[in-house]
Amino acid sequence: MKLGVIILQVLIIHVFLFLGAAMKAVLPLPIPASMFGLCLLFLALYLKIIKLEWVEKGANWLMAELLLFFIPSAVGIVNYDEIISIQGAEIVILIGISTIIVVGMTAFIAEKMTKGKGSEQP
Amino acid sequence: MMILFTAITYLVYRFAKKVYSKWGLPFFHPLLIVPIVLILIISITHVSANQYLEATKWLSHMLGPATVAFAVPIYRHLTTIKKYLGTIIISITSGTLVAIFSTFGLSKLLHLKYDFVTSILPRSITTPIAIEVSKEIGGLPALTTVFVILTGVIGGVVGPTVLKWLSIRTPIAKGLALGMAAHGAGTNKALDYGEQAATFSSLAMIFAAMITLIWGVLLIPPLMHFHHIF
Repeated sequence: MKLGVIILQVLIIHVFLFLGAAMKAVLPLPIPASMFGLCLLFLALYLKIIKLEWVEKGANWLMAELLLFFIPSAVGIVNYDEIISIQGAEIVILIGISTIIVVGMTAFIAEKMTKGKGSEQP
Repeated sequence: MMILFTAITYLVYRFAKKVYSKWGLPFFHPLLIVPIVLILIISITHVSANQYLEATKWLSHMLGPATVAFAVPIYRHLTTIKKYLGTIIISITSGTLVAIFSTFGLSKLLHLKYDFVTSILPRSITTPIAIEVSKEIGGLPALTTVFVILTGVIGGVVGPTVLKWLSIRTPIAKGLALGMAAHGAGTNKALDYGEQAATFSSLAMIFAAMITLIWGVLLIPPLMHFHHIF
């Protein structure tokens, strides 16, 4: 029962989300509960408190269907009148230019650093 | 209602995903075409957006566990992360800074309203965290979602071209750049360059989200203060 395994593992991952929410309630940091949950799950795996096989299938499913979970919020934009006042074409150009700079800068730095690393360890 | 709307959402999503992965047409990006089709469906059938949102609330809720799930690839690739930690941290920190400053500068040029600027600043990171950063700095989460989605679609189109212009060779650099600039959509694109590129792309996405959370506290508030002065 593949679906059953996925559901069960997603429930285990939920436990870490709830633990993360509990941490958020205690710690006065502007960090989302899910980020605390991520760190807790990582620690649990690292310290071998839980086995990778217990969460791996559920995690893979959640990550593979990530786009599906965004769809309701994307539909929700019809509730915002502000959307109408967006200068659509200008925003697209803004994002386009900024994205070109970000891709270029990140790739350039990473390429320089990995090449340096390659020559150190032939 | 819940089952009906979830089923419709899922079917439209599956169809778009299939078409997108087969032909790669940017317009068929699931995050673009699926909401448009669903908005059409609910307006034709006179269902209010709130009814739809109420029924599919649990899908949005899954963004929480989906974020937690990224602990699994981090754990799986721990040795790679350790080996390239310096490269990842330096390139992604620069990437997040460039993303925030260039977006801020261009928003000023376009004279965007205050809450538009706060909503667009976290646009290059993954939606669940972008929404948190947006709330933190006074943006509108729904608007942020739109900007994040647009970034993903645009990044998938311009990213590979930029990598070609700069003749970037290593899959590590390709992956980091795509994950940094275009979150999950970039990671999806990075698969074209192989598994190593995809791994680094998902790592870039996670690190970009974490680092941007820090900027949301330290850097963006003074920057928005500056917005008021000008």
